[in-house]
Amino acid sequence: MPVKFFGQFMVEKGAITRMALLQAIDLQEKTNLKFGEMVIEMGLMGKEDIARVHLAQRSEDLHFGDMAVKMGFITEDQVQQALTRQRNSHLYIGEALVKVGAISDQSLEKYLADFKQDQAGYISEKIEIPADVPHRPIWEMVADLTYKMLTRVVGISFRPGPCTIIEKIPARPIIAEMGFSGSVSARYLLSVSESTRNLVAKAILAEDSVENESVEILDDSVKEFVNIVCGNIAAKAAQLGHSIDITPPEMRDDSAHGITVPEKHTGLMFPVYLSDGEIFELTIFVADR
Amino acid sequence: MKSVLIVDDSIAVSRQLEKIIDDGKEFKVIAQGRNGAEAIKLCQQHKPDIVCLDMNMPVMDGLTALRSLMQLMPDLPVVMVTSLGGVGDKYTEAIRLGARDVISKPFEKESVLDMLRRL
Repeated sequence: MPVKFFGQFMVEKGAITRMALLQAIDLQEKTNLKFGEMVIEMGLMGKEDIARVHLAQRSEDLHFGDMAVKMGFITEDQVQQALTRQRNSHLYIGEALVKVGAISDQSLEKYLADFKQDQAGYISEKIEIPADVPHRPIWEMVADLTYKMLTRVVGISFRPGPCTIIEKIPARPIIAEMGFSGSVSARYLLSVSESTRNLVAKAILAEDSVENESVEILDDSVKEFVNIVCGNIAAKAAQLGHSIDITPPEMRDDSAHGITVPEKHTGLMFPVYLSDGEIFELTIFVADR
Repeated sequence: MKSVLIVDDSIAVSRQLEKIIDDGKEFKVIAQGRNGAEAIKLCQQHKPDIVCLDMNMPVMDGLTALRSLMQLMPDLPVVMVTSLGGVGDKYTEAIRLGARDVISKPFEKESVLDMLRRL
């Protein structure tokens, strides 16, 4: 079962109706204040200040609180106070489902335990990202979910190599990529050989052989695998409180010459060693802060 | 047997989904589209019993197509297909617009069939 939210899990399980979930989400939306709404409620900023911060965020990639501090509207201490108050008053979806009468208080605990067990396979283990790279926990999660999807979707045995900072991705016949925006700005690239592409295609197409498939279908399968991984990354990021939008997957047409890490980006490469001696790479171009 | 329309810009995904759904007994895939505009055209043309509609497509995305489909055929059972798991905003918007459910990738055959049987 892929990465998902508790509400979706409950609907799929048949424990609640879609209508009940929508009622609970409505209650959450009314109860949980965004950071800007919270600082207004606390009397720290006015609506016009909020609009100015939002405008400034369009030209500089900073969280709302950091930008508000930079612009002199609030102090670091006040950011922490607002965050604490936001955290303490947060209504979780499970609690909201109880409040709208969709489930009982007693059953919530059991459903949460079931959900935790269902999602256990998607909880990250430690992956080392070089120091000084921004948003390290996110890249750890990206690598971890990629490895898990390789196992679950493609069904291959592999050994991940250590993450290194690179200047250029080596030449590969196939490189598929997707973009991340929102809480982070980055490109996700998966570079594979033709034989690895065929392994991915077999899994995606659920075929024993892909010998007679067109290159278009085979490449499309790699794009789809990247799409599945990145979709699950966006879902996992949302669970962790980050908002990541993804762009549709694309094939790089310059893969045969290797790809240089763009300016003002850091290239993180995660080599993956297959049992038959093949190697392929996950690379993330992380935009500098 | 219920007729199903699959709309996804990825040929690989459409093939994968057709393989799961088209069992020759309960469900029959009658047509495939590659974007939201084709979804609307094919729905009017074939009047399927169920539509599996990708969320993220070029030309016209799935949510835009869903909005139009619900105006044209409010009772049409549409399930959205997405790799975004349960990403809150999109999931909620799809359900609010009238989608009956959301199929998450990677597909699990029995989950997909169970969902379609419930429609």
